[in-house]
Amino acid sequence: MSGGLRNEAGTLRESVRAEWTKLRTVPSTGWLLLTLVVLTAGVGALAAVVVKCPATCSEDTTKLSLTGIQLGQAAVAVLAVLVMSGEYSSGMIRITLTAVPRRLTALAAKAIVLAGVVLAAGAIATAGSVAAGRYILPGNGFTGAYHSETLSLAAGPTLRAAGGSVLYLALIALFSLGLAAALRDSGAAIAAMLGLLYIVPLLTDLGGLDPLWEHRLQVWGPMTAGLAIQATKSLKTLPIGPWPGLGVLALWTAGALLAGGLVLRLRDA
Amino acid sequence: MSTGTTAPYRSAQQPGRDDFPHLLRAEWTKFRTVRGWVIAMIAAAALTALAVVALASLAANSKQNPAANPDTVTGPGGEAVTDNFYFVHQSLDGNGSITARVTSLTGSVLPGQAPPGAGPSGPQPWSKAGVIIKTSTRPGSAYAAVMATPGHGVRMQWNFTSDDAGLPGAVAAGSPRWLRLTRSGDRINGYDSADGSHWTEIGTATLAGLPSTVQAGLFVASPQYVAAAQSFASNNWAPYDTQAAAVFDRVSLSGGQPGATWSATAVGGQSVVSGPQGQGGPEGPGGPPCPQGSVCIGQHTESSGGLTRSDGTFRVREYGGDIAPFVTVTDPLGTVLKASLIGLIAVIALGALFITAEYRRGLIRTTFAASPRRGRVLAAKAVVIGVVTFAAGLVGAAIALPIAERKLSSGGWISSVYPVWSLTSAHGLQIVVGTAGLLAVAAILALSAGAVLRRSAGAITAVVVLVVVPLILGVILPQGPADWLLRLTPAAAFGLQEGTPQYSQVMHTCMPYNGCFPLAPWTGFAVACAWAAAALGFAVYLLRRRDA
Repeated sequence: MSGGLRNEAGTLRESVRAEWTKLRTVPSTGWLLLTLVVLTAGVGALAAVVVKCPATCSEDTTKLSLTGIQLGQAAVAVLAVLVMSGEYSSGMIRITLTAVPRRLTALAAKAIVLAGVVLAAGAIATAGSVAAGRYILPGNGFTGAYHSETLSLAAGPTLRAAGGSVLYLALIALFSLGLAAALRDSGAAIAAMLGLLYIVPLLTDLGGLDPLWEHRLQVWGPMTAGLAIQATKSLKTLPIGPWPGLGVLALWTAGALLAGGLVLRLRDA
Repeated sequence: MSTGTTAPYRSAQQPGRDDFPHLLRAEWTKFRTVRGWVIAMIAAAALTALAVVALASLAANSKQNPAANPDTVTGPGGEAVTDNFYFVHQSLDGNGSITARVTSLTGSVLPGQAPPGAGPSGPQPWSKAGVIIKTSTRPGSAYAAVMATPGHGVRMQWNFTSDDAGLPGAVAAGSPRWLRLTRSGDRINGYDSADGSHWTEIGTATLAGLPSTVQAGLFVASPQYVAAAQSFASNNWAPYDTQAAAVFDRVSLSGGQPGATWSATAVGGQSVVSGPQGQGGPEGPGGPPCPQGSVCIGQHTESSGGLTRSDGTFRVREYGGDIAPFVTVTDPLGTVLKASLIGLIAVIALGALFITAEYRRGLIRTTFAASPRRGRVLAAKAVVIGVVTFAAGLVGAAIALPIAERKLSSGGWISSVYPVWSLTSAHGLQIVVGTAGLLAVAAILALSAGAVLRRSAGAITAVVVLVVVPLILGVILPQGPADWLLRLTPAAAFGLQEGTPQYSQVMHTCMPYNGCFPLAPWTGFAVACAWAAAALGFAVYLLRRRDA
């Protein structure tokens, strides 16, 4: 048995299957994905409940329904960090790399499985948020009378925002995975990831910065740029457009995966 | 062989002790001998300082930013002030006093300017009508005043920043307010009375270098009403001009020049540039023209206030204006200090690792075998991580604050509006000690989360989401839920980092969007401490019940 397995284990397909088995048999995976869905849809519903139309009818209703992504992404980051760092803390990584000696194949398999799981759970979370907005907002006065259309995925911009949010979550997962592969320690990786995500919007939201630098931070911050994909209104006034914004996040992700891949290849496990 | 009893064996070693000082020492040894943790703690302090300073240089490059240097007048203390009011005055030579009775104080948001929806009816809570002694009619000059206000009772205020409370309640038909100021040298005493015979002293102002001839008289001012709302993308902040009208009688001035008459001045120029349209006397638009037998001043420029006199009654009206410190909603220092979040996330990670690493390595079983009282072990850990973090934060913040302040003030943020706090000033101390305390509380919270969850990634994320994410949501949610979020979560403690002073005598529009926190700084810190205490208690409960 061992001989046959050794020959096949090098292939990506077997490796993906192994990673899928590992991920689905760890109890924390289910809890974290549930947290992602509940936080995202819950905060989205809460945002829809607290906003009232005659006061603020010009809201970007799609974007505010998707507010929960800002919290839900933390669960995604934890899941992704655990996929990589969890193996380092338990020593499992040595077995994984014995079974799959091509380290980049092992990393690619982890990335594929993680992205698939996050895309699926992210789609449920996003659909829940949009549904919450669709059914709650009209009750708060966001009706045709105020030129506020009911949320529907049939509308182009809303579909872009919702689908883009799912992609955003997948990119965040891969970003965290790369960072965890580079840093190895789960504490360091999650702290670095959350710092990169949350500090930029905090600094730029409060004002007081040089407008030029505020703009630069918003354009290059992974979270501020990536979440531009959620905008459906007044796109001209955004610091960065929806797709270019997601592109900036993709650059961060590519950089992190590259760094993680290099460290994994060059260092002892 | 003797048959005597042998003494039982006793080790020459000291018996093991698990009293608290020894536990502290054990935990301190664990912390200081992990080189990565010590380096990370030093890095957290250094990063905090570096990030704050770096951000200050970004904020400092703001010469084009109109918020950086608003056009303001400065008061005797050097702070920026608003000094616009309608002043009915005479010269007062040497010592003397002025007394008046306020029988009515009314006002409104200017017609045609009322905010959409339900604007406020009636006068502004901080509209002012009263007696004042002022160095001259130059804006920003020293003064002391006693005034009636619609929302805050009688007040004695001087030199813009000082404010003492007198009789409570507003002026009403059956309850006028008698107000009096007496000058003797540099000292001015303020009194109020409900009936004109029983007087109570409110306070004493010492105005250094007050000239012998000053202006004394009656004044009215009516600050702006600000309608502010935040909600996702629709933030708005709209000031509306207001007016206030007061009726004075029983006006008496002792120490004035004989035969002098009252003159009227709009101090600080017109408060409201585009006044209401329409004809009328000082009663305002649509008001009666100057009655026969009265002396009317300013009825042709009603947009800058006016005076109608008949017999001993003075009707004074002012459109806009205020005598108060100038406050701004922009808080560059508060924004810059938010860079300390980098250090905060680092100490959260350290706090969690301080216990999760023991679970990962199995050291926790040794720890509990050596000191079976688990609650005390966790308490010792909390003390060690709290003290170490506090010390690191104190050093980081104390280095960062003066450099950041210097960069901001040299970069165009004028110091009269955005004060430079020295490390020894009360507010400077609040910022430095508060930042260190915030870091320490977050580390203890993370330690507790680590003891509960046992996994570093989960614990770190839970605490970051609890402490940091409310700040992000607080900026985008509508104000009501945002305020509650910033009251109930540990994020309330970030109020300690507010950089611009708040004056209770100025209506302040406190929006999280502008970095303003709904709770008082140390109250917010108490909220964070309560979270840490509750989490620590829950962790001790679980530690006792669970297997290690």
